Amino acid sequence: MVYVRKNVSRLTAGERRRFVGALLEVKRRGEYDEFVRLHIRHFRGDGERGLRAAHMTPSFLPWHRMLVLELENALRRVDDSVTVPYWDWTRNRSATSVPWTDDLLGGNGRRGDRQVMTGPFAYRNGRWPIRAGVTDDRFLTRDLGRARNPINLPTKADLDRALKDPVYDVSPWDSTVTKGFRNKMEGWGPDTNPWLNHNRVHRWVGGAMLGGGSVNDPVFWLVHAFVDLQWQRWQQRHRNHRYLPARPPGGSRGQDGRIVARHERLPPWDLTPDDLEDVSEIYRYA
Amino acid sequence: MAVSADGVSVGAVQGEGTRGSAEPRRRTRREVARLLLGSGAVALTPVLAASRPVESANRQRPTDIPFDETYRGRRIQGAPLPFQGLSALGADWRVTVDGNPLHLMRRADGTWLSMLDHYSWYRTPLEATRAAVDELGPRRRLRDLAPGPFGGEHLHGEGRHGVRA
Repeated sequence: MVYVRKNVSRLTAGERRRFVGALLEVKRRGEYDEFVRLHIRHFRGDGERGLRAAHMTPSFLPWHRMLVLELENALRRVDDSVTVPYWDWTRNRSATSVPWTDDLLGGNGRRGDRQVMTGPFAYRNGRWPIRAGVTDDRFLTRDLGRARNPINLPTKADLDRALKDPVYDVSPWDSTVTKGFRNKMEGWGPDTNPWLNHNRVHRWVGGAMLGGGSVNDPVFWLVHAFVDLQWQRWQQRHRNHRYLPARPPGGSRGQDGRIVARHERLPPWDLTPDDLEDVSEIYRYA
Repeated sequence: MAVSADGVSVGAVQGEGTRGSAEPRRRTRREVARLLLGSGAVALTPVLAASRPVESANRQRPTDIPFDETYRGRRIQGAPLPFQGLSALGADWRVTVDGNPLHLMRRADGTWLSMLDHYSWYRTPLEATRAAVDELGPRRRLRDLAPGPFGGEHLHGEGRHGVRA
C-alpha cells in the first residue's frame, strides 16, 4: 500500500501529535541516536580518500532518500499511520511558522547558548537528550536565520534553477561542480554565494543542523523529505535523464572508487542508486 | 529492525554475502520495494569502503605551518601528521581545541571545514579551527565522537576520514 508524505503545514492536530509521539518513542528506544551516528560517520570531504556515499557526491540524493526511509520505517513500527512530512521552506519562511510551532518541532534557540526551550524537543521535557552531538551540549540548539549575520532561506527561484538543469550530475562528481541537478540541489556554491538550496537550509536553521550531528534536530527529516520531493520533480520534468554516472568513471579524474555509480552498492545498504530511483510503490508526495 | 546498536556493530568487517563495490544483481522494482519495507531486510551493515590511494593531479603541499595559540580563550593546536596522509590532497592534520580533538575535513578544492560547521570552508586548518571556536562559543566543549586512528571509537573500517585527531 503506497503511503503519502504530506506538507507539514497541512497536517491535522492529530497527525502532528502522532508524528511527534513516534519520534519521541524512536528516541526512547535508542534507535534515533543510531541515525545520528550513521550520518556523522558518513560525512567526509571530497578532498579525502575513500568512498563518499552521502555528501559532495552523486549519491547524495539516494543516500538521503534511504536514510529518510529507514527513519520512516522506524516511526511506522511505532505507529503505522505516521509518515515523514516535508517542510516547504519556499513557502513557510519565518522562524515562527510551521514547523517551528509548539505542537511540532518547537521554536528557535534562546540567545546565548541557543538552547531550544519550547515544544516537545526542549531539553527540559526530558525526552530529547542529545547523546551523539559534536559538542558536549545535552540540549538541542538552533539559531534560526543566523542572528549575528542574518541570511534568508532559499527561494522558489533557487529551487527552479536546480530543477531546470536536465543533467543529473557531472564530472568530477564532487562539491566543486557548477552544473548538474545534484549539486545545485545539495548546494555547494561558489565563494560569492556559498550556500544554495539544501546547504543553505542547514545554515539557516543553525545550531545542531550546522554540523555533523544535524540529525539531532528532527527538522532534518522534514528538510530531506522536501529535497527528496525535488528529486521526484526533477525526474518528472526530465524523463529521459537518470542518475549519473551510469558506470564507474575510471581513474582519469581521481574519482574511481570514491563515488557510487548507478549500479554500484550504496553503503551502508545493500542497494544501488538504480534501486532507489523509483519509490512509487512505497510512498508518494501530496 | 532496520537500525539498531547491533546493526551498526563496532569494528565489524564486511560479512559474507555482501558484495563490496562489485556490481550487485539487478532487482525488480517489486523486490526493491520489499527490501525497503521489510523489517530487518535493510540492516545498516558496516562495510569496508573502497579506500585506495588516489593520485590527485592537483596534489599540493600543505600551505600552512603548525600552530599553537590561544584564540578567544581557547588553546588551539594543529600540526600536519608526520606520515603519508589519508587525504587525497596531501598531509592530514591533527587539531585540538583545549586538548579535545577537532575533526577537520578537506574539500576537493583544497579548502578545510570542520565537524562543527559543515557549510563554511577556509583556506587553512588554522582558519577552520578559529571558525570552529567562534561557533563553539565560550562554554561548549567538543565531544569526541569521530572514529579515527587517534583515540575515539574506531567504529568501523570506513572511518578513514582525511583529517583526524
